[in-house]
Amino acid sequence: MRPVLRRRPEPVSTVILDNEAVQALADPSHRKHRRVLAIIEAVTTRARRGSVGAGELIIPTAVQVEAGWDRRNPATAALNRLRAYRPPLDGVAADRAAAVVAALGVSVADAHIAEVLISHHGPHTVLTSDPDDLRRIIAHTGAPARVVIT
Amino acid sequence: MWYGAWYDFWMDAGLERFLDLLDRVEVETVNTSVRLPVALRDAAALAVGMGFAESMTELTVAGLRGALEAVAQRAVLDAHYQQYPHARPSLAEIAVAAAELDGNPLAAQPALIRRAAEAVVALKRDPDADDVLLYAAGLAAAA
Repeated sequence: MRPVLRRRPEPVSTVILDNEAVQALADPSHRKHRRVLAIIEAVTTRARRGSVGAGELIIPTAVQVEAGWDRRNPATAALNRLRAYRPPLDGVAADRAAAVVAALGVSVADAHIAEVLISHHGPHTVLTSDPDDLRRIIAHTGAPARVVIT
Repeated sequence: MWYGAWYDFWMDAGLERFLDLLDRVEVETVNTSVRLPVALRDAAALAVGMGFAESMTELTVAGLRGALEAVAQRAVLDAHYQQYPHARPSLAEIAVAAAELDGNPLAAQPALIRRAAEAVVALKRDPDADDVLLYAAGLAAAA
């Protein structure tokens, strides 16, 4: 078991949430709500310490829309203010996402995840309940990324 | 009772104001003076001189913003747990998540991590996920 002791954390630059991860985050009654918060807690603790391995939370705006998270919902008043970067799907990003849709036939939200993988420095971690689709997207982009299943 | 309610209200208003200020995008700046450790100031000057950073101001702002964002995230999560206490993950759950983020093979041993979390809580005040993973690695090595 020595390799476990010698292994060092691999730094993660971004932690990207997919559709179901955002749905779970936004709904306190969702069965995976605590699970997603545990991951965010792990990121937050390390960011506060300035540790290697701390990542920036990213919720692509197309993912937010697909997940139906209206951040004006008073039921989740506090979580609506979660510190997460929400990159827009602007003209340039839309072109790149459209190319991913054409190549892989994925949803607009997943294509926006692909665009974020391409346009942001890695390594990335993607939180998803659909690892096969996400691994296909990651392979297509060639971005350094790993999948964590929610 | 009234004191608690007033305190909660004050906290909510203060947190809202704090987050609003962090979210505000503005170009207006202000001069301020801060006392820095000499070595830190000299290291920052060297970093600028070597081209690793634009300026001392950029480094100071980035450091301050990073620290405040981390404080804000903690405050937001704590406010959420105040509203939904069942949503607060356990130390073991956070440690498993941290292992998964690292790609640490201990992530495949949640029972071991739970055992480590129970032991660490008894040993250390205010432990975090990395304390648990370190202890779990020791348990794994000793097995």
